[in-house]
Amino acid sequence: MSKLIIDDREIEVSPGTKVIEAAAQLGIMIPRFCYHPALGSVGACRVCAVKFIQGPFKGVQMSCMIDAQDGMVVSTTDEDVADFRRHVIEWLMLHHPHDCPVCDEGGHCLLQDMTVSGGHGIRRYLGKKRTYTDQFLGPLLQHEMNRCIHCYRCSRFYQEYSGYRDLGAMQSANRTYFGRFTDGILESPFSGNLSDICPTGVYTDKPSRYFGRRWDYQRSPSLCINCSLGCHTVASIKYREVKRQEARFSEPVNGYFICDRGRYGFFYSSLESRPRMARINGKQCTFNQAQHAMIEKLEEIKKNSGSAAIAAVGSLRSSLETLVMLAQLCQTKRWRDPACFIDSSQVQNVKTAISRLEPQLRVSLRDIERADFILAVGADPINEAPMLALAMRQAQRNGATIVVIDPRPVSLPFPFLYLPAAPMALSAYLGSLIKAVVNRGTADKMGDGARKFYDRIPEGKKLAEAQPPLSSEMLQSLQQSRRPIIVCGTEILSETVLSLSADFALLLQAAEKQAGLFYLMPGANAFAGGILSGEKDSFLQIIEQIEDGSIRALISVEADPFWWFDDRPRLERALDKIDLLVVLDYLDSQAAQRANIFIPTATFYESGGMLINQEGRVQVAPRALLGGIPISQAGGGDHPPRLYDVGIAGFDPKAAWLTLADLANGAAQEDEKALQQHLWKQISDLIPQLATFSSIDEIPQEGIVCSCGVNIDSRFSINWSAASNIRHDSGDDFDLIEVDWTFGTEELSSLSPCLWKLERKPCLVMHSGRAEIIGLTDVDLVEISTETGSLEAELRTADNMAPGILVLPRHRKLAWQIFTPGKIRIRKDQIRKKQ
Amino acid sequence: MKYPQILLQNRKPDRIATLEEYRQSGGYQALADILEKYSYKDVQEEILESRLLGRGGAAFPAGTKLMSVADDASFPRYIVCNADEMEPGTFKDRVLIHADPHMIIEGIIIAGYAVTAEKGIIFIRPEYESGAKILEREIDIARQSGYLGKNILDSDYALDIVVHRSAGRYICGEVTAQLSALMGKRPNPKQPPPYPTERGVWGMPTVLSNVETFACIPHIINNGPDWFKSLAKTETGAGTKIFCVSGKVKRPGFYELPIGTRLSEIIEEHAGGMRAGSEFKACLPGGASTQFLPKELYDIEMDFDPLREAGSRLGTGAIMVFDHKTCLVAATLNLIEFFARESCGWCTPCREGLPYIRDILWRIENGEGEEEFMPMLERMSKHLWSAYCAFAPGAISPLQGLLAHFKDEVLEHISQRKCPFK
Repeated sequence: MSKLIIDDREIEVSPGTKVIEAAAQLGIMIPRFCYHPALGSVGACRVCAVKFIQGPFKGVQMSCMIDAQDGMVVSTTDEDVADFRRHVIEWLMLHHPHDCPVCDEGGHCLLQDMTVSGGHGIRRYLGKKRTYTDQFLGPLLQHEMNRCIHCYRCSRFYQEYSGYRDLGAMQSANRTYFGRFTDGILESPFSGNLSDICPTGVYTDKPSRYFGRRWDYQRSPSLCINCSLGCHTVASIKYREVKRQEARFSEPVNGYFICDRGRYGFFYSSLESRPRMARINGKQCTFNQAQHAMIEKLEEIKKNSGSAAIAAVGSLRSSLETLVMLAQLCQTKRWRDPACFIDSSQVQNVKTAISRLEPQLRVSLRDIERADFILAVGADPINEAPMLALAMRQAQRNGATIVVIDPRPVSLPFPFLYLPAAPMALSAYLGSLIKAVVNRGTADKMGDGARKFYDRIPEGKKLAEAQPPLSSEMLQSLQQSRRPIIVCGTEILSETVLSLSADFALLLQAAEKQAGLFYLMPGANAFAGGILSGEKDSFLQIIEQIEDGSIRALISVEADPFWWFDDRPRLERALDKIDLLVVLDYLDSQAAQRANIFIPTATFYESGGMLINQEGRVQVAPRALLGGIPISQAGGGDHPPRLYDVGIAGFDPKAAWLTLADLANGAAQEDEKALQQHLWKQISDLIPQLATFSSIDEIPQEGIVCSCGVNIDSRFSINWSAASNIRHDSGDDFDLIEVDWTFGTEELSSLSPCLWKLERKPCLVMHSGRAEIIGLTDVDLVEISTETGSLEAELRTADNMAPGILVLPRHRKLAWQIFTPGKIRIRKDQIRKKQ
Repeated sequence: MKYPQILLQNRKPDRIATLEEYRQSGGYQALADILEKYSYKDVQEEILESRLLGRGGAAFPAGTKLMSVADDASFPRYIVCNADEMEPGTFKDRVLIHADPHMIIEGIIIAGYAVTAEKGIIFIRPEYESGAKILEREIDIARQSGYLGKNILDSDYALDIVVHRSAGRYICGEVTAQLSALMGKRPNPKQPPPYPTERGVWGMPTVLSNVETFACIPHIINNGPDWFKSLAKTETGAGTKIFCVSGKVKRPGFYELPIGTRLSEIIEEHAGGMRAGSEFKACLPGGASTQFLPKELYDIEMDFDPLREAGSRLGTGAIMVFDHKTCLVAATLNLIEFFARESCGWCTPCREGLPYIRDILWRIENGEGEEEFMPMLERMSKHLWSAYCAFAPGAISPLQGLLAHFKDEVLEHISQRKCPFK
């Protein structure tokens, strides 16, 4: 610890703390522009100058550049240094335009604050102002270079922190320019953070341009539901619509930043097409009418076909409250257990992951930054969970070796070792890795099970013939690592690989390493879905039971099978067959359009609620807005809008769990408070870690990591003979895998118009060697035919992927739902070049 | 008075010295000796003992720099020769390269040996294309003669040198900026730690010195540190110094003189005195980034210490002489103009402060000056010392000299609302 005196007050800080941070701990806010806790100190802006009176440094020095040390006496108010800071502000303001009244940053501008608080009010400089030409940077950010004060935060974030190269500093001296080499859409999926970190208005949020000042917005903490990481956000609401979203600091999860999918993924919540009214057979009606009709119809079906003829499907974008209430509803009404997953392999994968996330293994996103070796198995971070890629980038910057074993052509904004492996070969690879870095004695320490497991690891001979080998560089850096982390996707892998990854992490811990395990999951609340689902509860099973006539009614809660179910014609046939389709949703989904009874629900912004991220972290978002049709839509274009209606238009939708509660209680409108208390009881029964809290409001901001579902009996229990059965790639057919892309495949963000321009053109990806054999080339238009239909897409070839794989994004522009759920095989004669 | 010519001994009026000529004058003997008899530590100690100070302007002891590469530092280690000569008024490196390139090459090899460097880089400014070509050609010749490459002169030591052409910026002369530029990055200086001798180019230990510094090294090895120290006229100084004299003198040019030779002697004896009709008014003693020396200091000993005591610096030893008809406000404006343009743009005082000062000086020079500009100039030039690197303090030095010694001249501009020299 270092003890120093700042402005006559003593403070003790841990070694390595910069003076600027030590002062902050005393509540002294030293001005700063270039300094940012995540980007570090570079001493460029010179505005954090303080005077060192005693100690190893003397005179005017930058507080961001000097570590607090014993015996330092520091003054922030000394006349010399205050005068220096005044000059720095004056210098920075020489060329800054006085356009604050029309600048979107005005009101939350660090430069504005520092200028006002620094006392610089009178302009002495008589010269002309410097001007620059602005650039078009894409649909997300507005560029206004004249406002730039050259703190270099943008280029440091963009290039050093996130690893992209297309934006940076150009030219020199006082003509230094921050931008791209030419106009164009920014390539980084983290570019939106520039508007957060720019201390003035060079990069401002484009979609919300000119809409409001910071103080005009209702700003509310929220959580991102566009992937399973659960990043913290701030939603800005004005005139009843979410207009802007920013990153909210979270120590364990996302740090200071979020990705663009999360930042701009909110537009679904105020689309004009969002259904605000209930509907019966397509006709609008009141909320109560629809609710009564639903109860009546369900009663009727129950009477005719029994309770088990009613099935419910839940969604991974619903809150924990909704999922728990749905499960309870199904239980009390003796309906079938709800399904939240597509098929049994998806639910089993998620359940396996949950059962293997033992407290000593699971790590947070922040822990990933501190890892010195990361093995990503069947995970495509930038496409599946972009912020994971940013965390891995920090580890790489700190010297970590990153190894990716994946069949897909994975690309990441930093160097990594890549092994294109077929999904079938992954367990064999993990086996070889275990053999290479863990010795038998170490395995023995973990007990009998581990030793047997170790002994049964098959020799890698088969592997050596069929697949590219593990490089010695990979093995060596894993051997030398002290904090290795295994990152594992749950989408394209088999349950065996998920288990094996956990066993591997356990063995690495036995080998005296601080090993960690990090799973990705298929949705924002997939963890909760996994806890609540039974082994076999899947949508596919519901379809099968509709087909055999045992299910007559389906209630779909914030779920749109049309979006994610693999076989569209089969889905349509099944829905044609049932007597009743009830849909509760806030999206105008295809399911909603087909519903016999449709009941609108509130978005996550309007309901708030709990989510469990892929780490098992239970997090809470408060309600950010009440709801209602945005004034821009209701006001008929008037400014200010003149609305004299009683009540708020479009205020019907309420949280899905409330509608479900009504259904459970037979529409006996209970007091919402009482319902909440009842629900809290059930949730805290489900998640024992919550039992110490008396209500949702007590859950801390960084959430509570839960261990429910953990099952240590499943350690070292995989069946090696099945796992090591590597199919020799015959070259005649392909394993088709459906994948996510950063933009264009996720249900909610796909509704954000500003993100459409960032989507890559949908395409099928095939290994170039394999394409050549079957006479196809890059950018050919191809058609895939299956028993259920055909799909047309452009073919892209790649060298960096497993040969026997065909990669298909679940892109909103592709009608890709022509496959039988489960493992998908495509023979080469099913792929045809279109003329 | 005639002094021994050490660095310029092989200088020819019309061509560069060949390898053979360099060898005849004792060239590469030092290299042969150290490879045979010296450990790398011995070389470091010889150079430290000689009190050789860096000739690029910062005057850092060359021996100390070599010794700061830790014994257990990682490999490969780099030795970089700074030929990015951009200090206004300075042209010594260019002349040295065109006079006797092998002297520089030998110096680099010996210094490289002193830190066990395997890779040498000569970082040369783009305007010195002819120099770059000469160096490339002569390096090739040296390689063929066994002075470079593997097993230099049949020893275990290996070093090769490449010539790297800069994209050209004044700031590239700054050590850390130069190393960044070498790696293809923006030439922004980086405040140590880590020092380049710990982590320099590509994160490896790197020693960077000026052309003239390297040129001194073979002679120190050949003749010993005591001889080197005896060359100087002052007690504390060592060696000779190349003075580039320009301005209103009869024979502007390039003079190798003992360190500590008096300014008056340099101007009157070697540079032929002031031009007819010119009186000495002031000079910049060490390039554009040093303070003006007024007439009162005309007799000063041109060595690092005396100049530091006088508030200026020996810098690169480029003496720019101004006569009584020269407006020093205009001269300062010209210099600030240069520095404002050459700032790398990293920190605020330098990037924005220098153009601000240029604007004020321009106004004073062009009859738009105001009394209130004076305290502004004084405070701003003081604050520029809190910039990120040594560029801004250097850039502001002429102005500080102007305000210290020629304040009346500036005030005259303001009160007359015009330049009194026009």
